[in-house]
Amino acid sequence: MTKRRDIDAVRNLSGGIWNVAVDEYQGGFLKRRDLLKYAALLGLTGFAASQGLGGARAAAAAGGTVRVGLGQPTKAIDPVSVTDPASIGVISQVGEYLILDDPKDGLQPKLALSWEANETASRWTFKLRPGVKFHDGRAVTAKDVVASFERLVDPASGSSALSAYKGILSKGGAKLVDDETVAFDLDGPNSNFPFYVSSDVYNAVILPADYAGDFEKNFNGTGPFKLESFRPKQGASFVRNEDYWGDKALPDRVEIKFFDDEQAQVLALQAGQLDVIPSTTRLELAIEGNPNFKLLSVQASSHDQVHLRTDQAPFTDKRIRRALALTIDREAIVKGLLKGRAIVGNDTPFAPIFPSADSSVPQRKQDIAEAKRLLGEAGVPNGFEVTLTTERAYDIPDYAVIIQNFAKKAGIDVKLNVLPQDAYYGSATFGSSPWLDSVLGITDYGHRGTPDIFLNATLKSSGAWNAAHFNNPAYDALLLDYSKARDLQAQRLAAGKIQTLLLDETPAIISYFSQYSRIVSSKVEGVRFTAISHLLLDRVSFVQA
Amino acid sequence: MLTGRILSARVGTLLLTLWLVSILVFFAGQVLPGDVGRVMLGPFADAQAVAELNKRLGADQPVFVQYWLWFSKAVTGDFGTSLSMRGPVAPFVLESLKRSAALASIILLFLVPLGVGAGVIAGLNAGRLIDRLIVMAGVSFGIVPDFVSGLMLLIVFGLWLNWFPISGVAPDAAGFWTHGYYLILPALPLVLNLAGYIARMTRAGVIEAIAADYTRTAVLKGLERREIIFRHVLRNALTPTIAVLATQTGYMLGGLVVIEALFGIQGLGNLVLNAAKARDFPMLEAGVLVMAAIFVLSAAAGDLVLALLDPRQRRRTSP
Repeated sequence: MTKRRDIDAVRNLSGGIWNVAVDEYQGGFLKRRDLLKYAALLGLTGFAASQGLGGARAAAAAGGTVRVGLGQPTKAIDPVSVTDPASIGVISQVGEYLILDDPKDGLQPKLALSWEANETASRWTFKLRPGVKFHDGRAVTAKDVVASFERLVDPASGSSALSAYKGILSKGGAKLVDDETVAFDLDGPNSNFPFYVSSDVYNAVILPADYAGDFEKNFNGTGPFKLESFRPKQGASFVRNEDYWGDKALPDRVEIKFFDDEQAQVLALQAGQLDVIPSTTRLELAIEGNPNFKLLSVQASSHDQVHLRTDQAPFTDKRIRRALALTIDREAIVKGLLKGRAIVGNDTPFAPIFPSADSSVPQRKQDIAEAKRLLGEAGVPNGFEVTLTTERAYDIPDYAVIIQNFAKKAGIDVKLNVLPQDAYYGSATFGSSPWLDSVLGITDYGHRGTPDIFLNATLKSSGAWNAAHFNNPAYDALLLDYSKARDLQAQRLAAGKIQTLLLDETPAIISYFSQYSRIVSSKVEGVRFTAISHLLLDRVSFVQA
Repeated sequence: MLTGRILSARVGTLLLTLWLVSILVFFAGQVLPGDVGRVMLGPFADAQAVAELNKRLGADQPVFVQYWLWFSKAVTGDFGTSLSMRGPVAPFVLESLKRSAALASIILLFLVPLGVGAGVIAGLNAGRLIDRLIVMAGVSFGIVPDFVSGLMLLIVFGLWLNWFPISGVAPDAAGFWTHGYYLILPALPLVLNLAGYIARMTRAGVIEAIAADYTRTAVLKGLERREIIFRHVLRNALTPTIAVLATQTGYMLGGLVVIEALFGIQGLGNLVLNAAKARDFPMLEAGVLVMAAIFVLSAAAGDLVLALLDPRQRRRTSP
């Protein structure tokens, strides 16, 4: 516990919002780590660093080549349009963000040195780190930063980040203040904006102002490694960037190989030809109990959302929606299907890892008797038949079977319709997409650093991913309160109301939040990664045998 | 030898086949869900961004217009730009063709001596134990799918014994022999899978040729056994084998999607599969057309070899 004196010392670092957080921390409502993460969000980066977060690490031996297996990129590698995990893994060797959202330490200043908001959180100003150079030797200036964000919010640029910035940042919103300062005028107040210029939006790599979309030619970024060679469809290699602004990378080289087949990937790892590979539940079985490998995991907000169409029978009655949610034994799913590498969810996007989540909202548990009672009340005492449509991806088909079995206990007869992934998403627009049109479906959502996009896109009445067709004015109003809330207490208050409303309405079932894992050889130390596929290898060292 | 008339008929057939295939691929591709913009930017991308990208790639035009634009360029040898890989299609297709051809060569290098040799031995010893063993072994290996045997071979020879690399791709700087060495393990599943089939074909041909009149005549003429086998029996016996090998060569160059994926060889099969997944029509068209051309040409090459072996074949004009 920090002493009283220290608390007083940090009290006046910032305005009232900060002091509320300090009060919360003193009252035991906020963990020390969360307080520090919060400090970073407010731009108190110096304070977080002084408390030993994201700072010094033990000295490790430099040298060696880290050999990485990744999947096959689905298209030409370009930070602006990137969507696939393999490409993000490659880009994270050379590209950097204003801020890194570190799964352990929260927001870490990278190309931005500090940031602050105006009173209404509608304008955010970022001071840039001086002396940073692109790999081609040119200095990084505010011009490059402004151009990078203007590119991402321009529909004509082929940016896949447009949906992330919708309603938050529009064209013309990023402004040059001076050579080392950039300001963002937002579409509306947003207390979480630093997350939107962080690695959370994986497209937001800072690229030169004159970037022409030819990233594969030279992989020109600012990161700790720079390109040695690239072979499309085969792999890439990188060498230490000796001009890097921060601590130089420990490994001499990084070698990345693309694999079409995960079995081949795990075999190559077992044969000692790779040091790091992505992980899946199946692969974890292959290395379980093997001392030559480690499974590293970070808790994420990624989840498989079960949507229940609130505008179509049988789910127009919220009692029926609640009944289905009550049949599910979440603990069993986390233990069984997810091998304990997940945390239980409570049918809202507020994952426990978000400081704004209200943990006092009661956890929904399996209750078959109550489910049957609700079905009786809703006029279907003997249950009903419904089709669950979903995608053949990850553990989802297994999850669908588990839901089918749980639902049976209350007399609900779930028929399964498992489609190939691209067929499930279809054209991803209402009316021609099983994902958005099905009565009952399961969709995989990747990790985000804040719940905002889940809350807005999947449940707001106008949301582009609102598969539940949830149209609830009270919810929309609460969401507005939530996004306006500046301090943690107000955010949590709004979050609690949203959580309670979603439990009552149950437009979606979110029974778990997964961890994101990688399998690593026991010979390497210091592999770091984010839950959205960034792979950070600059601190990797080899254990001396 | 093939006359000019037959040759021009062949070329005409090839071009007609390719044209029909190109239409089929293009229009069949239209029934796939989603469009190139949506596939490239992902299901969670903004609809406006997807529409803009489709417009930029010309994927928003009517399908006939798209086909005509592609076709009018393709006849001049310009196969356009890959939508997903952002570069000209030709180098990608050529590169993958080279890799597939290397793999197919290694397969044939093992398959032909093994399959034909075993078939000849079985045919000459029809009914004996060795014959039964060869046929049994061939059938047993033939029913194991290539992805099973491929994985088994990888585990045994790659992981446990460490005799071969896990990947089928040698480093760039490697020499000719090293590249070949990397391809041995990927080639084996196909060799095992097809050897029995080839052996049975050869065996049937040998048995038939031994029973034929010309062989009896040769025996009665008092020729040496070796001369009878090589000059009379094998020359006639190999006809069905060559026909089968010709059709299988097309498959080896374009149909080894699973083996290519398992061993990380970016061959033609893989290129076509990924192009279809990405709705990358220029790439898909070029890949499929190369495959179709190989099928037609390898069948033609088979006919040519048959014609050289059998004078009667040369008078056939059917393509």
